[in-house]
Amino acid sequence: MAMIEVSNLKKSFGKLDVLKQLTFTVNKNDVVAVIGPSGSGKSTMLRSLVHLEQIDAGSISVVGEYLVKDGVYPRLPEIKQITSKMGMVFQHFNLFPHLTVQENLEIAPKLVKKASASELRQRSTELLGKIGLTNRAKAYPANLSGGQKQRVAIARALMMDPEILLFDEPTSALDPELTGEVLQVMKDLAEEQMTMIVVTHEMGFAKEVANRVIFMDDGEIVESGHPSEIFTNPQFDRTKVFLNRSF
Amino acid sequence: MSIDYIISILKPMLEGAQMTVLLFIIAIVVSIPLGFLLTLAVSSIIKPLSWLAQAYIYIMRGTPLLLQLLFICFGLPMIPGIGEYLVLDRFVAASLGFILNYAAYFAEIFRGGLLAIDKGQYEASQVLGLNKWQMTTRIIMPQMFRIALPAVANESVTLVKDTALLYAVAVPELLHFAETAVNRDFTIVPFVVAGIIYLVMTLVLTIVFKWIEKRFRFE
Repeated sequence: MAMIEVSNLKKSFGKLDVLKQLTFTVNKNDVVAVIGPSGSGKSTMLRSLVHLEQIDAGSISVVGEYLVKDGVYPRLPEIKQITSKMGMVFQHFNLFPHLTVQENLEIAPKLVKKASASELRQRSTELLGKIGLTNRAKAYPANLSGGQKQRVAIARALMMDPEILLFDEPTSALDPELTGEVLQVMKDLAEEQMTMIVVTHEMGFAKEVANRVIFMDDGEIVESGHPSEIFTNPQFDRTKVFLNRSF
Repeated sequence: MSIDYIISILKPMLEGAQMTVLLFIIAIVVSIPLGFLLTLAVSSIIKPLSWLAQAYIYIMRGTPLLLQLLFICFGLPMIPGIGEYLVLDRFVAASLGFILNYAAYFAEIFRGGLLAIDKGQYEASQVLGLNKWQMTTRIIMPQMFRIALPAVANESVTLVKDTALLYAVAVPELLHFAETAVNRDFTIVPFVVAGIIYLVMTLVLTIVFKWIEKRFRFE
């Protein structure tokens, strides 16, 4: 079942064409790793899916509903309803610094879903256990390590019960020794059949955890396929050059 | 120089200080929310509103507070036709002047706070489904006030000292009583006492703000 269908997506910043005619599908339970050089449009593509960027042409449908059809967006309430199916994890975490870890988890479902306090407490406590941060519930983000912050950010996204989780370079801002703990949480999610799109420079993760790799360069999808194909037998020179530099 | 003398001048000076404190409280309580509204107006997408707010801030920051006070106290009543309806009680007029002037400064301070907030905070709020109102009140404003706190504290200390401008529009405050005593008794002791009273007031204020800063450190 297609969770996300993108067709002929185009996006430019002024004269610069950032995304040129992107077309791809993400199926249920897919873990898609999006790789490619900096400036290839990976992040812009991901941000377009949650309406942090507005696209110029093409269509995006999410679980069967159009977020944008042939470049035309519906009204804001509809957009909100459609994007609410997706959660997003940012490179720089973007935790709310004035709220404790547990408050960070609970604020959105409290305000948006009007969930009851006891229900929220139960769910947030459960998720904190899952990411191994039960003892940090009352800490403020300033007192967490980068890896802990990113794990909290993942838990915060999960609090909204998304059907699809998007990761925008989730480990790029972390010290190398802290990436493991974040990748482990993502691996656990993949094992629980969460549908995920991960823009990443972590080739190890792409190889081990993803069931599909999309290689982007210069605003285009150069090739995509199972990691075993892409990593061992890339079809295009651009892919080969990039992979040679990355390993 | 006797303790008795100091005690004798202390009573009227402390009464004057009450006026200072009263003006301070009125000015701060009204100008902070007003300043915040001005910040919102400046960053509004409604251009004429933004221009109006910017012009207001420019005028209020670009002219001396003393001139503004004199204008409100003595200038307004001289406007032909409507002047007679604009004769305000001196203290009321002065309070108005302080409020209007300080609101402009607070607006700039809060604007600085807004600019310091990372755009990732807006993006995270949006992706989590918060609406504009929820984002502004629950995510942006608390951070903005926190960032602005040291500058607000600084401005508040300035306000305490600026209350001495009441002297110029003949509202009897701390400095007025000090000066009267200096002229009458031919000694500078009342000035020293006045200075100490100001120092005590700003010290209390500093301690209060330090406490607030600590309370909202988010660490």
